[in-house]
Amino acid sequence: MKLPLSWLKSHVALTDDVATIATHLVRLGHEVEGVEEPRSAVKGVRVGHIIEKKPHPDADKLSLLKVEIGDKQPLTIVCGASNMGEGDKVPVATIGTTLPNGLVIKQGKIRGETSFGMCCSEVELGLADESAGLLILPGDAPVGAEVGELLGLEEAVFDLSITPNRGDCMSVRGLARDLAADSGLELADISIDPVPADSSIALPHISIAAVDGCPLYLGRRIEGVKVSDSPAWIQARLIAAGQRPVNGVVDVLNMIMLDLGQPMHAFDTDSLNGAVSIRITSGGESFEALDGRKLTLPEGDLVVADESAVIALAGIMGSEPSGVTGTTVNIMLESAFFKPAKVSETRRHHGMVSEASMRFERGVDPAMVAVAMEQATTLILETFGGRAGAVSVSGSAGGINAKEPLTFDFSRIEKRLGIEVPESTDAVLSRMGFGVSRSQGKMRVSIPGHRHDVSIPEDISEEYARVIGFDAVPECLPPLATTKPAAVDHSIDYAVADGFVQAISYAFISEAEQRMFSPDDGNDILLENPISEAMAVMRRSGWPGLLGIARHNMNRQQPGVMLVEQGRSYEKNGDGHRENNIMAWLMCGEIQSDQWHTTVRSADFFDMKGAVESWLASNGLTARFMANDDVQGLQAGQSADLFIGKSVVGRIGKVDAAIADHYDIDASVFVAEINLDVLPEGKKAKFQPLPEFPGVERDLVFLFDRTDRVEAILQAVRKAGGNLLTDARVFDRYVGQGVPDGKVSLGVRFTLQDAKRTLTQKDSDGVSAAIVAAMEKIFNAPLRG
Amino acid sequence: MSQIAVMEQQLDAIKEEAKKAFKNASDLSQLDQERVKYLGKKGALTEVLKGVGKLSPEDRPAIGKIVNKVKDDLDRTFKISQAVMKDKLGLLRIEAERVDVTMPGRVTSRGYKHPVQNGLDELTAIFTQMGFDIAQGPEIEDEFHNFDALNIPPEHPARAMHDTFFLKEFTDRPMVLRTHTSPVQIRAMQRFLKEGNEPPLAVVAPGRVYRCDYDMTHSPMFHQVEVFKVDRDVSLANLKGVLKHFLSAYFGKELPIRLRPSYFPFTEPSAEVDIGCVLCDGKGCRVCKQTGWIEVLGSGMIHPNVLKSVGIDSDTYSGFAFGLGVERMVMLKQGIPDLRLFFENDVRFLGRMGS
Repeated sequence: MKLPLSWLKSHVALTDDVATIATHLVRLGHEVEGVEEPRSAVKGVRVGHIIEKKPHPDADKLSLLKVEIGDKQPLTIVCGASNMGEGDKVPVATIGTTLPNGLVIKQGKIRGETSFGMCCSEVELGLADESAGLLILPGDAPVGAEVGELLGLEEAVFDLSITPNRGDCMSVRGLARDLAADSGLELADISIDPVPADSSIALPHISIAAVDGCPLYLGRRIEGVKVSDSPAWIQARLIAAGQRPVNGVVDVLNMIMLDLGQPMHAFDTDSLNGAVSIRITSGGESFEALDGRKLTLPEGDLVVADESAVIALAGIMGSEPSGVTGTTVNIMLESAFFKPAKVSETRRHHGMVSEASMRFERGVDPAMVAVAMEQATTLILETFGGRAGAVSVSGSAGGINAKEPLTFDFSRIEKRLGIEVPESTDAVLSRMGFGVSRSQGKMRVSIPGHRHDVSIPEDISEEYARVIGFDAVPECLPPLATTKPAAVDHSIDYAVADGFVQAISYAFISEAEQRMFSPDDGNDILLENPISEAMAVMRRSGWPGLLGIARHNMNRQQPGVMLVEQGRSYEKNGDGHRENNIMAWLMCGEIQSDQWHTTVRSADFFDMKGAVESWLASNGLTARFMANDDVQGLQAGQSADLFIGKSVVGRIGKVDAAIADHYDIDASVFVAEINLDVLPEGKKAKFQPLPEFPGVERDLVFLFDRTDRVEAILQAVRKAGGNLLTDARVFDRYVGQGVPDGKVSLGVRFTLQDAKRTLTQKDSDGVSAAIVAAMEKIFNAPLRG
Repeated sequence: MSQIAVMEQQLDAIKEEAKKAFKNASDLSQLDQERVKYLGKKGALTEVLKGVGKLSPEDRPAIGKIVNKVKDDLDRTFKISQAVMKDKLGLLRIEAERVDVTMPGRVTSRGYKHPVQNGLDELTAIFTQMGFDIAQGPEIEDEFHNFDALNIPPEHPARAMHDTFFLKEFTDRPMVLRTHTSPVQIRAMQRFLKEGNEPPLAVVAPGRVYRCDYDMTHSPMFHQVEVFKVDRDVSLANLKGVLKHFLSAYFGKELPIRLRPSYFPFTEPSAEVDIGCVLCDGKGCRVCKQTGWIEVLGSGMIHPNVLKSVGIDSDTYSGFAFGLGVERMVMLKQGIPDLRLFFENDVRFLGRMGS
């Protein structure tokens, strides 16, 4: 919300400088997002009167204007806007002016015609981010006057962010009340004599059918109004507050809303049919809103209606046909209290927001309903003429937002804040409208009608806190409270130690990506309102995300990547859903870089497997890798399930070439994923003394069938090796010359060790012989020469 | 010439010959051969000693002495020759093994933690050191935990301001992606009470959150850390103490903090927290928009309605809570200008900014 300083000062005679006022506003809880300082930047922009408008001889979209700016000669100006006509008054930036955007106005030729200045829109004057053409100034603006002065641009404007609990501060009056209370200055008296009613004008027939939504509704007819542009001072206020003038009546009502926080509306009575009622819709009625939208109203909307149609969504927006235009003569003013919950509900039915709805939703001051009516009537009669009838009052202001006074121990406030609150602070709350009394530590506070946000003692503690200032509260560490040792998750650290770079990708992916690795079995969880199709469904695997990241990096000259992600996967699970904590890996391309001492090597299945085994080992776990040709998205023959005990804890394999292709990755891609939630507790390392006696290593090379599994071979070696054998592994694998087709040469290295003695040649010969015999017997595998 | 004199002469000759041989040996093995030749069990000296038996008993001690002297002398000479030769060979070897120390070292590829993960870990560690327990919660949340229990009823304007992602109906109640980590407050308190505990309860809850907002400065997924404590007489002063301590610990320097009254439905009073700008030390720069202050998080005293929603008596207990955006903290600490870099996952960025 924009708060012009002069407007603020019309309610409270502040003498502090702009920066000090800003500080007070912040302390009171009104965030100052910016202060627009006096705009000397628009000096040189003057009121121009268009006396002639001709098309540019050489350009369809340009006009050639003669503009009077109070000098001897009118200026010739080339202009690209189209919304102005002869007789309009517009801002003219004269030669030498520097506009807020830095543009310096110079004499220049545009398509052969010389232009001696520039006509400006709100954008060029720095008043708005967009505009629909030139800013048309009020008809009574004096020709040649500085536009900055005319529009009040010379003064400071605070740009405030009003928190949603403070509906009462969505007005100049409300902010002035906070500042006046805080500073001890008087708040200006805005009471106004009621406008005497012209008895010839009938009282409007108004009835409230929805008391729950509207406890108070004031209506008044004004007849014989001549709607014209509003006077310069009103337009200046609106523009300074960031609003665009519309027409005289609407401008007056908008200004009063900004001033008092009470939204008002005016209906063209000639367009109304019969009595007006405030009621709840039963569904099916049509409504054409002022913003041009055509709606069919559902059941339960709070509306204002005449006998044939809905004429307003109460507190949100009027209807197009009943709206006030330049030709309107007879109007009915509305000033009402619409209840926040009902306005909010109706607004949400239609996804609409308006200045009015924002205020009603947050709660307006019931005491202002009548004040606003009198002020608006007075201003309209003064400015546009006409005769006003009496005010029809339905309902009453009494009882709206009335709450029982709060009573509590004052120590409660001091304990919550951790500071002593001097009794002198009570006076500030009183000036804000609270009724405050203290006696013997007991506190009694009555809450004013405009404070919809206050209902419990803690709310009062906040009032004290902002009056005293949060800065006055000391910094005081509480005692330590913990009970448990911190359980730290090292999952990522282990993978990083193996050379992987941690990635973090979005939890939502496209449905096409989901289908790469997960079946279309109805277990997807879809977003109702995704950002885009690419982020429409909750991922069931970490792989699509990692593939996208691999592509990003491979496209940027990375020869290879090793990625790991820890996150969640999401899927439906019967009637409910499941979030799995997962680890996902991806390797592709060169994983050993080109260095002077090594050669380049690209990732293969066993790099991925080694990484997963290493990670599992870090967690005290080992898994069995069981070939599975049917893992969706992985290449048959290079994919496996990871088993720990009888349960599958993960998957590993080579990504189908077609999928890698889809990601433009021109390399084999290997992935793995583990579900952390199903991992058993790992073995905790137990102390074992280091061996005192040396071990013996032996190598044996056998010729196996290609179909023999290493897992089975090593198992047999271990069995044959007996108690002395402490380790057995494959140290060499060879296929090629000298090895018959269908065969593979495997070198097995085993270690023998005894805790009590040094082993002899005889020991190792014995074990070797046993292993040779076992290989021969089980696999028919001869020892290779 | 007496027998002794002859032997003496022989010994002298052997000594001179051996010394020359030691000196002229071309390598260590030849030197050793020479040693064996003169000093070995069957060497020249031993040969001479064999002749001692022919001497008269009274002459034997004298010649024994001489032989020993020659032996000692030769031993010493041998050792010196050996040392000299070793030195010489050593120098040759050292020269042969000389490397160019400016050649690049062998690099084994190393991994990096994501900078956001670092931020999460650092922040969480600060709070666990301060006695807060870690808690987690689901990312797919019901509206009760994400909104209602946090004092944000359906018609509340703040609810509309949350840019909530809704999930297509698949359970009996509407589900959302949590818009903040505050629902963990509710879940942690519920769990804590269910286990039969009574406050104090102090929790830090790191996690991912989601908002339907995607532009230069907003990511639809980001990370928050929620921190809260409930006990008897927890005060706003305690909140300020914890904030001051943790912010200084995270940024590694004593930072001024400033609380500005604000509004969150789940706290009362509520405050936005600013820190003195970490880039310009409060002098005013582009990042702090010349104000010297940077807004870092929202905080407040837990609203009695929130305590009530889980069944904690707000007359007896009070609490503070705050939630902070991890990406923002990391950006400030590491001078990262663009939020989107975190989710682009360019390994060059991750390698530079991660650890």
